[in-house]
Amino acid sequence: MSAATPIKLEVPTDFGCTEEHALLRAEARRFLSERLPIAELRKLADAGVGFDRALWKELAQLGWVGLVFPEADGGAGLGWLHVEIVMEEMGRRLVPGPFLASLLAGVAIAESGSNAQRERLLPAIASGDLVATIALCEAGGVFEADGVGATAEAVDGGFLLRGQKTHVICGTDAGLVVAPFREPSGRIALFAVELPATGVSVEAEVCIDPTRPTARVGFDGVRVAAQARLDGDGAAAWHAMLVRGFAALAAEQVGGAESVLLITRDYAVARKQFDRQIGFFQAVKHPIVDMMCGIELARSLATGAAAALDAAAGRTAPGPPSHQDAGAETLARMAKSMVSDVYCNAVRKGVQLHGGYGFTWDCDVHFYFRRAMWSRSMLGDGIHHRRWLAERLFEG
Amino acid sequence: MSVRPDETESKENAEFRREARAWIAANKPAHPGFKLPQSFLEVESERQFTFLREWQRKVFDAGYLGLDWPAEYGGKGDPLKRQRIVSQELNRAGAPFLVNVIGLQWAGPTILAVGNEEQKKRYLKPILSAEEIWCQGFSEPGAGSDLASLSTAAEATADGWLVTGHKVWTTLAHFAKWMILLARTDQAAHKYAGISYFLFPMDAPHVTVQPLVKMSGEGGFNQVIFDKAPMPKSALLGQLGQGWQIAMTTLTFERGAAEGTGGGQSTPTESSARAVAKLAARVRREGHLAAGDAVIRDRAAQLWIEEEALRLTGQRARIAALNMDDRPLATRLMNKLVFSELGQRLSEFACEVLGPDATLWVGDPQAPDKAEWPRAYMNSFGVTIGGGTSEVQRNIIGERVLGLPKTK
Repeated sequence: MSAATPIKLEVPTDFGCTEEHALLRAEARRFLSERLPIAELRKLADAGVGFDRALWKELAQLGWVGLVFPEADGGAGLGWLHVEIVMEEMGRRLVPGPFLASLLAGVAIAESGSNAQRERLLPAIASGDLVATIALCEAGGVFEADGVGATAEAVDGGFLLRGQKTHVICGTDAGLVVAPFREPSGRIALFAVELPATGVSVEAEVCIDPTRPTARVGFDGVRVAAQARLDGDGAAAWHAMLVRGFAALAAEQVGGAESVLLITRDYAVARKQFDRQIGFFQAVKHPIVDMMCGIELARSLATGAAAALDAAAGRTAPGPPSHQDAGAETLARMAKSMVSDVYCNAVRKGVQLHGGYGFTWDCDVHFYFRRAMWSRSMLGDGIHHRRWLAERLFEG
Repeated sequence: MSVRPDETESKENAEFRREARAWIAANKPAHPGFKLPQSFLEVESERQFTFLREWQRKVFDAGYLGLDWPAEYGGKGDPLKRQRIVSQELNRAGAPFLVNVIGLQWAGPTILAVGNEEQKKRYLKPILSAEEIWCQGFSEPGAGSDLASLSTAAEATADGWLVTGHKVWTTLAHFAKWMILLARTDQAAHKYAGISYFLFPMDAPHVTVQPLVKMSGEGGFNQVIFDKAPMPKSALLGQLGQGWQIAMTTLTFERGAAEGTGGGQSTPTESSARAVAKLAARVRREGHLAAGDAVIRDRAAQLWIEEEALRLTGQRARIAALNMDDRPLATRLMNKLVFSELGQRLSEFACEVLGPDATLWVGDPQAPDKAEWPRAYMNSFGVTIGGGTSEVQRNIIGERVLGLPKTK
C-alpha cells in the first residue's frame, strides 16, 4: 500500500477468461431469470422479506456462497472472475440476502483463521447452514482498518468486546458476525462472533433498500472465548477482504445498472408521444447511450479488478510486468468509484426518462434506485476512493 | 518487490518487442527545435512535414510498418499483434507520429478490403513508405453529419470522370498525392445509392487546395475545390454506386472500431491524467501547489479512472465472452466517442489547473509548456467533431447497438 509502489495496472491480456467462465454466466443467468423474476422480487420486497432462507439454500447448493473458499474448506476453490460473473448476474436480479456479507466474512476467515477456525466455520458458511455476515461500519461511516474504534481486551482465557457496529447486512438473521476490534496494543484483530450471544444487541435498521436489510449490532462488554479471535494479522486480513469487497460489490452494481439500462431502453422503444417512440428523440436517446457507455467502462474496471486479483493469487498468468496486488487494489477502488457513480446516474436517468410512471412504486426502477443508493455509500463511494487513488496518481 | 514477466506474450513476440524497443531508442529523432504539430491534423509547414515524413520512411525501412499487410503489397504478412507491439513501443518511447495517418489507417485498410489487385499493388507500398501522402474528401460545406447528402459530382466521360464540387476539412491535402473521394455518380438514384468511392489524383488539373485556419490559429487543414477535374477509369474503388458502403468501412477504421492499421496510431501510453498530475506538481495557485488542492486531486483521479476504464475496454473488446451477447460491438463502437470526449475533458482540466497562466498563448516566453495545454484543448475539437461528431456517434450507438428508433 506504500505510495512508492509503481502504478502498473496490467491484467492478463485475456482477463484469464475461459470457457468455464462463460458457462457459469449462462448458468447464473438462466437460474436467476427463472427463480427471481422481478414479480417475485416485488413480492419479497412488499412483504418486507430481505432474507429468504429457501433462496439462500439454493444459492449455497449451486456452490456460489463458497465460490472462492478453498476446496479443503468446503468451497469451490474458484477465482474472482467467477465472483465477478455471479455478482453481476445477481445484481441484475437484485438478489436479496447476505451474499456479499457471507462472501466477505468467509474471505476474512480464509485469510486469517487458524486451521481449526476454518474447518469449523467455512464449510458451514459454504453450505448455507451458517449465515455469516460482516460488521463493516462504525459510527461516522468508518470502515477501513485505520478508523476502527471498537475494542477487544483479553480477560482470563477469552476477550471482552466493546463497540457499536452499523449497517450490518442481514444482521438479524445472521448466525455469525465477523468484525474488527482494536486491541490495547493498537493492533486490529478480527473476531468471528456466533449469534445470538449474551451482551450482543441486534437491532434492525430501517434500510432504504428493502432487499438488503441491515442492522445495528452493539457489543456491550461481550465475553467471547479465545477461539473467536481469528489468528492472523487482523489489519492485513481486513484490508485484503475490503479490496475484494470493492471488486465484488462493483460487479453487483454493474449488473444492476445493466438492468436499468435495458428497462429504460425498452420503455423508450415502447412508449409513444408526439406520435413517435420517445427513443427517437435525441434528448432521450443520447442519455441512454451515455448510460451504456458508462456501464461498459465500469464493467471493464470491475472485470479488470477481478482478473488482477486472480493473477495476484497466481491463478492466471499475469499481464506485463507489474506489482500485481497493488494493481488489483487500484483497479478495485477505481471500479467501486466509477460504478457507484455510473449506477446512480443510471437510476437517476432511469426514473426521469420513464416520466410520471417512473415516479411510481409500480415502476420497477425504484428498486434499482434503492440498491444503487445503498451500494454507492457502502464500502466507499467515489469521493472516498478517489482520495486514495489521488495519493497514487500524484505521489506514485 | 517482485516483478513478473509477461507470461501471456509468446517468446517470439517478447523478443520482437525487445528488438523494436531497442531500435526505436537508437533511432528516434531528436526534437528539431521548431514547433512540431500535436497530431496529423496540425501539419502546416514544409519543414514539419519533411521531418515527419523522414521519420515514417525510417520506420518503414527498418521493417516496422505494414507488418500485418500482405508481403506482395509491401507488408510482411505477420499477425496484427506484431504491428500492435510496434505501435505500443512507438507510443511508449514518445516517438513522433507517423504522418501518413490517413493512408495507413483509413485509405490503406479500405483498399486492402475492397480494392482490386492492381490497386493494391499500386497504392499500398507508397503509403507505408510515406512516398505518397493521402487525404480524405468526404465532408462538404453542405454535407457534414448528413454526409450522404453530399453534392460533389463525378460526371462520366469516355475515359473516366470529371469532378466538380467542394470538399472541406481536408487535412494534409496540401501535401497529398491522393485523395479518397466520395462523389455522386447518379443524380437520379436514392441519396445513398448514387454515391461512388474514388482514389483521386491530387495532381490533376482544375483542383485548387486552399488552406483553412483552425480556431487555434494553426493550419494543416484545407478546402479543395474541383472544377471539372479529370480522373481516369481506374480511380473507381469497388463498384459504381457502392460508395456509401465503402465509406462506412473507412469510417469503421477511422473511429477505431476496427483495427486495420498499417501502424502508427498515436495513442499515448503515458496516462494523460498522469501528465496533468505532474503539471499540478509544478503549478502554484494562490501560493500553494495545485497538486495539494483536494478538488484538483479528486478531478484528476476521476479522469485517471476513466482512462484506465477505456484502456481496459479496448482490451475487453477482443474477448467475446466478456462482452454482452445482445450487443457484442458496443465496446468497439463507443471507442471514438469516449476517447475523444475524455481527451477533451483532460486538456480543458489542465487549462483550469494552470489558472491565469492558461491564458498565455504560443509564443509567450512565460507560457507553461509552450501553451501546449490550451492548444491541445482547442485541437481536441478536431477529434470530437472529425470522423463523425459525438452527437452522430451517439445516434449510431443508440440505433445500431441499443436498437433505439432511427433519427433519419
